[in-house]
Amino acid sequence: MIEARGVSVSIGKKCIVSDIDFEARPGEIATMVGPNGSGKTTFLKALSGEHAYTGHVAVNGRDLAAMAPAQAAGLRAVLPQATTLSFPFTVREIVKLGLVGGRSGVMPGEAERLPERALAKVDLEGFAGRFYQELSGGEQQRVQLARVLCQVWTPIIDGQPRYLFLDEPVSSLDIKHQLIIMNIARDFARRGGGVVAILHDLNLTAMFADRIYVMHRGTLAAAGTPHEVLRDRLIEQVFGCRLRVGALPAGNAPFVLPQSAL
Amino acid sequence: MADQTIAGMPGISRMMAAGDRSSRARLVICLLGVALVITMLFSLASGASDASAASVVRNWLLGAAAGTEALSVRDSIIVYDIRLPRVVLGALVGAALAVSGAVMQGLFRNPLADPGLIGVSAGASLGAVSIIVLGGTMLAPLSAVFGTFTLPLAAFFGGLVTTLVLYQVATRQGRTSVATMLLAGIALAALAMALTGVLIFMADDRQLRDLTFWQLGSLAGATWQKIGAVGPIILAAMLAMPFTARGLNALALGEATASHLGISVQRLKYIAILSVSAAVGAAVAVSGGIGFVGIVVPHLLRLLIGPDNRYLLPASALLGAALLLLADAVARTIVSPAELPIGIVTALAGAPFFLWILLRKRGIVDL
Repeated sequence: MIEARGVSVSIGKKCIVSDIDFEARPGEIATMVGPNGSGKTTFLKALSGEHAYTGHVAVNGRDLAAMAPAQAAGLRAVLPQATTLSFPFTVREIVKLGLVGGRSGVMPGEAERLPERALAKVDLEGFAGRFYQELSGGEQQRVQLARVLCQVWTPIIDGQPRYLFLDEPVSSLDIKHQLIIMNIARDFARRGGGVVAILHDLNLTAMFADRIYVMHRGTLAAAGTPHEVLRDRLIEQVFGCRLRVGALPAGNAPFVLPQSAL
Repeated sequence: MADQTIAGMPGISRMMAAGDRSSRARLVICLLGVALVITMLFSLASGASDASAASVVRNWLLGAAAGTEALSVRDSIIVYDIRLPRVVLGALVGAALAVSGAVMQGLFRNPLADPGLIGVSAGASLGAVSIIVLGGTMLAPLSAVFGTFTLPLAAFFGGLVTTLVLYQVATRQGRTSVATMLLAGIALAALAMALTGVLIFMADDRQLRDLTFWQLGSLAGATWQKIGAVGPIILAAMLAMPFTARGLNALALGEATASHLGISVQRLKYIAILSVSAAVGAAVAVSGGIGFVGIVVPHLLRLLIGPDNRYLLPASALLGAALLLLADAVARTIVSPAELPIGIVTALAGAPFFLWILLRKRGIVDL
């Protein structure tokens, strides 16, 4: 389990995130939602060791602040919002970087084929030989996810659950690939790993999240199951936008929900 | 999809997993090793003296078995005491400059980064020029203590001080800002060059001649003694650099991602910076300003084998050594019996080539 108690993050003199209590349990998808600039990414960066924080974070009972990068890399993999690349690597070379420091958990012989398997998972079969920079934004995002999957390929190692941190993993994807990626996250959780995901799509959140953390102006506005959290009043308060949960569009206007996927 | 695999080499890419260039990289490294040996033999055999190529090479390949009569005493002095140290030194300097360039480019995540760019070369030059100008007067005690090692040590020291100051300026709370480091490097290089200018202003006519020739870059003064002074520094630095290869690969995705992948980024930077300043300081001390090796060699190799530093670093060392020896062969034969400073040769060949690479790459990869 990942357990955060009273976590605050300041950048310069500005306090970006204050006093967050957060849990990510193995077997579950914990999502963070909230308006732009509410501190979701900053908090995730604290969890991934990128930002200094006050408060306490423990991963599987061990203090995160005392972990070396190599130790943390064996317990969690991080998909950032955007990744820039400075040299012309091929897709396969990028995905293989996932194996650089972490522990995939597969036999050495299998590791050689892991990039291809990870690419197949994110629906990029046959892309291994392409240059990363020649791909579209959505394809690049899926390549990065394949890299992240390689790093924690087996959700449990030595009895220790491992975690996926996903910062807006579906932001530039079409609906088919949004569902593919979210199902990968769900599958990872079902096999015993934990997932922390920042999402903007409330329908996808309702569909996949086991727990939702709602961020608002750097603090936690609510936390709980989708049923407990997705309420008209809270959404209006946090997003500043009058919306009604479960309301159908007036008249015959068409609408498509991800939940309707067969 | 075959035509969308690595451009230009469809035949080879079919033999391994698509997108995996490691087998090709290993092949290229082997070929470069062979090329370097051939270049060294060729360099030994060519020059202003009439020691014939055939006898030199035969003597080398057959060793003592061929009998010492194959070489006259004069020829053997030329080969063993003049050309061989020059070839060894050229290979060391070429390898050091090329591999340092590759490491800097990986560290700064920029294919245009070069030790010359962040002031390491300028700092090393300042150290060396201080000894050339003040070695007989103000710094005479230093020269008395360190003897022939004074010049390389001063250059190494100058390069190291520059790098450490740079590191202090650019690092806040344990993180190095690459942008600050590049800009601070430009400022430090300007300061080092200004101080070098002051020293040049103070120099007398004979020192001016030494300085000018040294600044243009030359391997002409190669002796076994010089190799003994700088060889260990260069070799130690080059032995440290391969340990940065995996980390530099991860760094291509950014500092945060490299750290997420389990790389200790600060330690990586430390090893990279120290080994580069040591290698460049030593190279500058013995050969002066030899430009473009550090940029052109890694660029060429990335086109050929890709940017994976596990292969790029050794390949750069081999190609850097071979190219510098070729440049030196040109430098000492083209205006024979006089010789051209090698820095002029590398700049004349390297600068247009570099422009050509930029034009070719424009549109494919963001620089």
